Order: sequence, then structure tokens, then C-alpha cells
Amino acid sequence: MQSLLSPRTLLIRTLAAIAMLLLVMVACSLVGTEPVSIKAALAGPGPSGSPSPDYEILLRVRVPRILLAAIVGAALAGAGVVFQAVLRNPLADPYILGVSSGAGLGAMLAVIGGINWTLWGRSPIAVFAFVGALGTVWLVWAIGRITGRFHVTGLLLAGVVVNACFSAIIMFLTSIAKSQDVYATVFWLMGNMAEEDAFVLWASGGCVAAGLVALFFLSPSLNAISFGQTDARSMGIHVERVQFVALAVSAFVTAVAVSLSGLIGFVGLIVPHAVRLVVGPDHRQLLPLSSIFGAVFLVVADTIARRIVAPAQLPVGVITAMLGGPFFLILLMRYNKKVCWLS
Amino acid sequence: MRKWCFLLAGFAAWNFLGYALLQPQQVDAVTQVPTTPQPMRIVSMAPNLTEILYALDLGDRVAAVTGDSDYPPQAKSKPNVGSFWLPNVEAVVACRPDLVLTLEIPQQKALAVRLRRMGYRCLTVSIWTVDDLFAAIGTLGRETGQQVLAQSLILRMREDIEQVGRIRAGRDRPRVLWVVQREPLRVAGRNTFINDLIELAGGQNAIGPTLHKYPPIGAEQVIGANVEVIIEPAMMGGNLAEQHRQALAYWSRLPNVPAVAADRIYVIEADTVSRLSPRLCQGIELIAGRLWSGDAGE
Repeated sequence: MQSLLSPRTLLIRTLAAIAMLLLVMVACSLVGTEPVSIKAALAGPGPSGSPSPDYEILLRVRVPRILLAAIVGAALAGAGVVFQAVLRNPLADPYILGVSSGAGLGAMLAVIGGINWTLWGRSPIAVFAFVGALGTVWLVWAIGRITGRFHVTGLLLAGVVVNACFSAIIMFLTSIAKSQDVYATVFWLMGNMAEEDAFVLWASGGCVAAGLVALFFLSPSLNAISFGQTDARSMGIHVERVQFVALAVSAFVTAVAVSLSGLIGFVGLIVPHAVRLVVGPDHRQLLPLSSIFGAVFLVVADTIARRIVAPAQLPVGVITAMLGGPFFLILLMRYNKKVCWLS
Repeated sequence: MRKWCFLLAGFAAWNFLGYALLQPQQVDAVTQVPTTPQPMRIVSMAPNLTEILYALDLGDRVAAVTGDSDYPPQAKSKPNVGSFWLPNVEAVVACRPDLVLTLEIPQQKALAVRLRRMGYRCLTVSIWTVDDLFAAIGTLGRETGQQVLAQSLILRMREDIEQVGRIRAGRDRPRVLWVVQREPLRVAGRNTFINDLIELAGGQNAIGPTLHKYPPIGAEQVIGANVEVIIEPAMMGGNLAEQHRQALAYWSRLPNVPAVAADRIYVIEADTVSRLSPRLCQGIELIAGRLWSGDAGE
């Protein structure tokens, strides 16, 4: 199967997808609740003391938010591909190993603890969510290892159990917390996009890009693993090592995304499936294309969330599920004959 | 192995470059925005802040309000900057405010940080108790050059509250159950501003100290608390009579609770009792009116 994809085809398809992403990002930066004159915005920040509103809205509110949506979308969709491949489970998404409940618990503790410091302009919620997400995946991994050598099932079960336990702790904390804290956490958990500082975008973009490149390096091994561990071993692949590195990198990328924007569902589950339906299951192609289309999908979803009930805004998670579900069903019906699930 | 080394080196270089170029350490140092003595374009990010601004006669200087700012009616015609929980930064910036008022809640704190970073002046007040409300009115008066009006508003409100207390002085204090949600039953606990309102109105909270602020309780506690008056703020601004009928049906399952036996279940307009605003006194009077059966009631 690997011979079917030449590096040239891969490059052309990836570049075409990147061009599409850029086009969508430019188009979405023109959409918003306030009318903005591009000419005025590009004229610069204006004389000191009175920055032009067009410049501020476009370059300090809209563009950072669109970049953030692209980073988060790419991270979630890329991680989703890898989780589905390593766990060999079509229902796997980036949150399956406890990232969601770990991040939620971290966020809840930060809010309830009333922690006030900031790190590079990031609130403690983000930092705690990041630590909580990674800590939980490590815990799940450790439990999964204890349960046995063939630990994909063990991992999934450990993920389910840890998720359930942490969700219960979150519910307990929710019931005893001050109501305003609860609202803050609940809204955070629903997933939200906000304008971020340039360095946060730069660094998190770097983390996600590096993580996705690392996963791309692993994609030939992932191809082999998705046929079964025994086959992969007979091809000389260190299955455990690849699984560990792939899960660790995907968990890191997911944790970065979650700490930026809360829990945005559906992107990590549906985009990889949709791309797989169209281009097939080869991970060397599936991973970059899923990441790029994840970015496109989330940028579009966030633009709708910004615009649809203007001037109010919707949590972007609402849009991803409402938009993603029907879109995926259409793809599923259209490409039904080509379906090649992982199992 | 070499490609992994390149990736790691590239990643480190990228972050180093970003750190050098973008200087994130300066982000936390919030730029001090010069204060204007008379802000002329004020954006209010919460309905009770809007009410305070109008009470301080600043209606003309309000540039925009949140969509949930429904009082006074003139506020509804002001430009909308999203909701209390999901503010629209774009709309705030488009208003060119010289003062943005936010509440001390995590989400609005994040909004204030972002706006300050863009060079806008934000004033964050914390309004959790009745005393906080007076302090906030004082602060807003000071920051907008309306000190005199603010002081007289505070004095008037304090007098009105004392007046309510004087009328009912010497009467016994009915035990009130304040129902926040019926199914499952959730009531206002001691550590809430609702508790303050009940006490200022001359009643006492039937629920003792609890771990939760708004504790979920069972029938056992309701019976044990010997509740004399049940008050429910109307939910979602619906029809009071209909909600009263539903409340009667719900409480009929506990016929021996004194409040149910004496038919002292009231559904009241939530508007004045759900937010700490200059209309606080109306809220307290509304509650006081329900506490003694001889007084005005439903």
C-alpha cells in the first residue's frame, strides 16, 4: 500500500491543502460582528494614543483568534489520527486517555483555589489544565502497563475508569464550589476561543508543529501497527516504543490544545475519519491532511460561533458538533463503498 | 535518528527566536493607562453595573452594554457587546471605550487582562455582598467624577433598608426557604447575598450553615427546618401565575410543612432579587411583603 503514495503526490496534496487553509483563514478574517475596512487596518496602528479601531479589531482581535483556532484544530485532528491508529479503535479521540477529565480537574482546582498569577499572560487555568491533562495520560499509561503486556485494551479501560473517577471528583467540586466558579469552569470546559498574546501563539504553534512533524516521522510505523501488532513486529518495528512515543507526543499536543481553548469535541474524532474516507488510510498522508483540515474546520466553526448569534458569541464546541455531525454523515454516505475502518 | 535531532534543534531555535522577538516577559507587566477624570464612553459588562451607571446619571456616557442589561429600559437601546459570560471583544473595541467596567469573575478578569494589554482602561469591581455593592457604587462614582451622586445614592439606599427594618422591628422572624431550583431541590444557603436580603427583610434562612453555597437538599431537611415561608424567584421571566401553580403542585407532596399548610408559597419577580443593583431596596421590600401573611402578598 505504501508504494501507492509517491512523495511528490504527498507534497502536492499537502501544499494544496495548506493553500486552502490560508485562503479560508484570510476569508474568515474578513467576517466578524463589526465591519472593518482592510485599507484602514493595513495602514498601521495609527498615531500613538489613538490606534485605529480597524487595525485593532483585525490584527489584535480577529487574526490572533483565527491563528489560535488553526493551531488547536490541527493539534486535535492530528492527535486524533494517532490515537485511532495506536489504540486501533475507530471511536478513539484525543480525549480518550483521560485528557479531558484531567484538564477539567486541573482547571477546576485552579478556579476553586483562587490562584491569581499569570504566566506570559496565560491564566492559571491554562497551566493547571495542561499539567492535569498530561498527568492524567501518564497515570492512564502507568495503569495500562500494570494490566499487562498487550495493553491496548488495558489502556482503553484505564482511560475509561480514570475519566469516570475524575469526572466524579469534578462533579463533587462543582457541587461545593461557589456558583460563579462553577460557571467559569463549565464555560471553560465547553471550549472557547479567545485572542491570545503573540508569544503564546508562537510557542504553542511551535509545540503543535513540532509534535505533528514527530508524529509524521512515526507514520510508516503507524501504518504497520494498524494492521496488527504481530504483523508490525514481524516487520521489525518496536511496537511498544512506537506506541509510547506516539501516545506521548499526541497527548502533549492535545494538552497544548486543551490548555489554549478548553475542551472542543468532535474535531479529533470526525476530521480524521472524514479525511480517511476521502484519501484512504495511509498515515503518511492521513496525518498531515487531517491536521490541515482540522485547522480549516475549526477556523470555519469558530467564525460561525463568532458570527451566528452576533453580537453575542457561542462556545465553538457547540458549532463543531452541530456542523461536524451532518457533514460527516454526508461523507459517510457518499464514500460508503470506500470505507476502510481500522479494525 | 538525525531527523529527530534536527526536529529538536528546530523546535528549540523556534522558541528561542520567539522569546527574543516577542518578549513575553513584558506581557504580565500591565501597561498603566492614564486615567481620564471624566470617562465619556463607558462600556458596562454586567447588568447590575449598567444599573449603577444609570443610577449615577451616567446614561448618556454609556457607550455599550451587555445583552442581558435590561434595566432601565433605555439601556436596551445601547449597542450590545455580547453576553455577561461570553463577551465580544471585537464589539468592545469597536465602541472605542475610555472605560470598561467588569466584574470580578474569572471570565471577565481574562477579558480585562486582554483589553488592558491593548491599552484600554478597565475597572474591575467585586460585587458579592450588599456591602460590596455600596463599595462598588462608591468606586464607580469616584472613577467617573460622580462622587456626590454616589454618596447620596448610598445614603438613600441605606436609609431605605433601615426603613424596612424599622417597620418590621420587634416582630418574630419567619423561617424562609429560598428555592433556587425545584427539581432537584436546591436552595440558598447562609453564605449568599440572598441570605443577606432575607435577613434585611426581617426573616431568617430556614437552612442552617452548609458546605455548599446553594445546597441541594432533600424532603427530610425541608421538614426538619420547620419552614414557614417558601419563596421562589420566577425562572426565565415566565408567567408568575403558572409558576405559582407548578410550585403549589410540587409542594403539595409535603402537606405538613408549616409553609405548605398555611399556603405561604410565593413566586416573585426574580429581577430585583437576583442581582445586586441600586434596586436592592425594592427587592428587600418585595421579600418583606411576603414574610408576614397580614402584609401585601400574592
